[in-house]
Amino acid sequence: MIKASLRGLLQRKLRLSLAVFAIVLSVAFLSGSLVLSDTLNARFTALFSTINQNVSVVVQAKDPQAVEPARLTDAQLRALSEVDGVKAFSPDVSAQGVIPFRGTDGEPVSADAALGFGVDGKDDPLGLVELREGRWPTAEGEVAITAHTAELAKVKRGDQLKVYLPVLNEPRSFTVVGVAGYSGGRDSLAGEVVVMFQQAFAQQTFYGATGLYGGASFAAEDGVSDDVLKQRIVEQLPDGFKALTGQESSEEQSAQVGVLFDVFKYILIGFAVVAGVVGVFLIFNTFNIIVAQRTRELALLRALGAGWGQVAGSVLLEALIVSLVGATVGLAAGIGVAAAGEAAITSEVALPSAGLVVAPLTVILAYLLGVVVTLVAAFVPAVRASSVPPVAAMRDVVRPDKSLTALSIVGAVFALPGIGLVLLGAFADLGGTAFLVLLGGAVLVFIGALLLSPLLARPIVRGLGALIGRGSAGNLGVRNAARNPRRTAVTAAAIIIGVTVIGMTATVVQSFKTSLEDIMGENIGVEVMIQASVTAAPDGRQGFNPKALEQVRAIPGVKEAAAWHFDALGVSVAGQPQAFGIFATDVGQAARMFPIDATDGTIRTLAAQELVLDDNIAETLKLKAGDRTPVAIGGVTRDYTVVGVYQATPIIQGILVGEAAVADFPGPLAFQGFVSLNDGVDAAPVVERIETIMKDYPGVQVGDRQSYVDQATASYDFLLIAVQILLLVALVIALLGILNTLVLSIVERTRELGLVRAVGLSRSGLVWMVTVESVLITVFGVLLGLALGVGLGAAFTKALMTLEFATVIAIPWLELGQYLLAAVVAGVLAAVIPARMAARLNVLDAISYE
Amino acid sequence: MTSPVTDTPVTGAGAAARAADLWKVYGSGEAQVIALRGVSVELERGRFTAIMGPSGSGKSTLMHCMAGLDSATRGQLAIGDTALNGLGDAGLTRLRREKVGFIFQQFNLLPTLTAEENILLPLAIAGRKPDPQWFKTVIDTVALGDRLHHRPSQLSGGQQQRVACARALVSQPEVIFADEPTGNLDSRSGAEILTFLRRSVTEHGQTIVMVTHDANAASYADRVIFLADGQIVDELLEPTADAVLDRIKRLDVVGTGATE
Repeated sequence: MIKASLRGLLQRKLRLSLAVFAIVLSVAFLSGSLVLSDTLNARFTALFSTINQNVSVVVQAKDPQAVEPARLTDAQLRALSEVDGVKAFSPDVSAQGVIPFRGTDGEPVSADAALGFGVDGKDDPLGLVELREGRWPTAEGEVAITAHTAELAKVKRGDQLKVYLPVLNEPRSFTVVGVAGYSGGRDSLAGEVVVMFQQAFAQQTFYGATGLYGGASFAAEDGVSDDVLKQRIVEQLPDGFKALTGQESSEEQSAQVGVLFDVFKYILIGFAVVAGVVGVFLIFNTFNIIVAQRTRELALLRALGAGWGQVAGSVLLEALIVSLVGATVGLAAGIGVAAAGEAAITSEVALPSAGLVVAPLTVILAYLLGVVVTLVAAFVPAVRASSVPPVAAMRDVVRPDKSLTALSIVGAVFALPGIGLVLLGAFADLGGTAFLVLLGGAVLVFIGALLLSPLLARPIVRGLGALIGRGSAGNLGVRNAARNPRRTAVTAAAIIIGVTVIGMTATVVQSFKTSLEDIMGENIGVEVMIQASVTAAPDGRQGFNPKALEQVRAIPGVKEAAAWHFDALGVSVAGQPQAFGIFATDVGQAARMFPIDATDGTIRTLAAQELVLDDNIAETLKLKAGDRTPVAIGGVTRDYTVVGVYQATPIIQGILVGEAAVADFPGPLAFQGFVSLNDGVDAAPVVERIETIMKDYPGVQVGDRQSYVDQATASYDFLLIAVQILLLVALVIALLGILNTLVLSIVERTRELGLVRAVGLSRSGLVWMVTVESVLITVFGVLLGLALGVGLGAAFTKALMTLEFATVIAIPWLELGQYLLAAVVAGVLAAVIPARMAARLNVLDAISYE
Repeated sequence: MTSPVTDTPVTGAGAAARAADLWKVYGSGEAQVIALRGVSVELERGRFTAIMGPSGSGKSTLMHCMAGLDSATRGQLAIGDTALNGLGDAGLTRLRREKVGFIFQQFNLLPTLTAEENILLPLAIAGRKPDPQWFKTVIDTVALGDRLHHRPSQLSGGQQQRVACARALVSQPEVIFADEPTGNLDSRSGAEILTFLRRSVTEHGQTIVMVTHDANAASYADRVIFLADGQIVDELLEPTADAVLDRIKRLDVVGTGATE
């Protein structure tokens, strides 16, 4: 029995190779994702181990992100350094966002990390940083820089270097007195930019007073283990600090940095899921057709005494072997994907090499995925194979297509409540829960639609066929596509899945963009936008000094310039934390620039401890004009008076306070600036002038109205592109699935092909017949997917409209047309090989094919 | 033995299909099989010819070659005034479309088409409209009546083969090749099919060539050609079943004698 199924497998290896390919893709993405993330982690661990090579214990603030993180005083540092067993120590005075400007063109140097340190004029007691030329800075106006920084900033010893200082929120100029490197002759550890200041200046600038330290690193004397030293230091540790061994610190830091690269991991896992889901359909279809074609052979086995369990087992054994082959190839391909991904990432970020890491877990998961996907997909065909009656060996047992009624009823049982939930989520005002209701409904509708798709296949394919299936060859293709609705539907399922997701995303994104553009259109009086790029939750410590707007107002043609401050860190109103933060600006001015309609109270320039908010938040917090409520900003709680409530729009929503409140913000920088111009003034030259003014603030962008819309929609475009790439993966697998089905169908219909050739159909007619069938299957899938996707997308948009995130439902016809076109092209491509196969059949052999 | 079989290429205008010095060799070296050894035959227009012979005599190969389904190793082939030699796939396709009809042992109907659509398939492929008068005549001849809109799976074997006959007749081809048309049918259904074929020859002047090993089936023909070892060994005009059986027996004796 096993021998028979193995021999059968070899004979069908061509047909099964496509099923194997689906497994390969899925497993490759999964294992690629895991190997890449393990490999990068190993690299970061190696990096931080280098940094901490001579460090036994690190002392640092428990919460370095706090508005006022804990600092070590001179006395506390001295006490720690005198702990028994400390051989050497190095205090830490540092800040992030210390950005040098290039000596040549004055542009800020771009690097993933830009750090400033305070140094005490002596060599690094822990031996990590080494002076290469010149000396350490000893005066306020002096700096030393790493060799990598010198290269990026294009300066050398003796040159002037402009550096942006994050706490002062402005650039200063310094003389470069020294160039340093790292032990082992390295110019940088990971491509970071480092500027070293005189220690007292750094303390004053970064921490606001001399004699303060952010933490310290300690080296142990010989014979004192890291753990022992850590224990002794912990006993002396001031409040708000924690101690880690060098090893622990390396692991913690690499884990933090590794998170930044998780996006690659998730994208690859997304691909793996799509490939896996789509692969199930492809494998299911392949085994189903193979079983159908082997009916006589299976019946013979049954007639010769094989039990149904043996027959089912032989199909599952075949599936198991296929899955093992697929998983093995997929794992190898995944390691290749990871190597390519690593090469791409490390070409941007210099990291010490640690080799590719293929963890045992990766191997186990790869095989598990391959085997589970295949066996799940092959289960129904296996059961079907076992139900072949032995008599089928003697004569053709007509097994009529099972009625679609039962399947369709189950589909309707899913779809109808799903539609109900979707409508409820879209039209009932449910607030935040609307999306949960919608999501549940969408999943039900989707499952229902997949189950109903065989029922829909025949009428839709025939309807489409009437359009493209001209001529007798085309007509035959149409009938072939419609003859087995289950097969057509399962083959199209991969496309339905992919296109539904993309259609939904495209509809929501298009609606959002159109809404924004509508509002940004004529009724807003803002022509130029200034925007800080966000690398952390905005809290006033990133952006530009609002004083810079004085220079902007002086530009001819500028009518008004408004600074908007934004704090998204630890804000709460009426005791409720506000994840979307709080804005501070001149609200009266804002009302002149943006359409802000009061629904309660008045909208005007606010005094201290006054606020306005949008109607959605007012409803949630149960606030109305005249109410007093506690507002916590930057750790300070004050009572504010609600002056007005306004109608939320996609561009203006949230809680607004007056500029006086900025004093409570963690930082004084403005997050956004809006500039209106006098009538007839061209925006382009003004944008250029403002860009020059904002040059001192790294990460601040200036653009016209359109660039603001583009920026606001950029993240949605990114989402759309990510989903489109997913679609591409699904489409490639779907294409293979169609190819597979067509090849198997052609083998199955060899006699018919021979006949139509015998009665005069030309080779090109046969090619057209196969192509029509293929295109009909893809277009059927795309149309169903688009209908589902656009419908669900519109429902989600409707819910967004209730929350004022959008104003219109916009259907991206152009994109939809492109997807349809892509499907037609895919259909034609998928038909190439099967059509050639069909055309090459010898007429005589085909007619007498058994 | 009567011997109207000519050894030279035939040029008579009355021939619907001709073969001259036709050789067909499969394989090469030790595995070489010679299926036809210089067969020359002329099939007259408007007549019903049966080709008979034991298994392996080359009767099917002869028909496949003459119908343009298989290529000849050597020799001249023609249907009507069209020479088959040198015709590419496109030429052969056009030939099949315009001048040849087929009836197979396995019926070979398309399961997706109704009986009527199957009958009209060759015309549809050729992009021709059926002559309504002739279509009606054909339909009446095969007597399918109310089953025209049924699918093949809803028809009996005999009905399916009648559909196949109608499909071959409807385009009024130069010649119809029938490969064991009654081989899969019970004797009553077989007799019906043979009667249709006979009538279409007698009443409508259709040319039909039929391969069969059934003496009774051959008795419906105007002329029976006997093949053995890839050569035409005998021929019978206006046959009866008994005469055919008698001739087969004699051939067997000759064959047996030849091997001894």
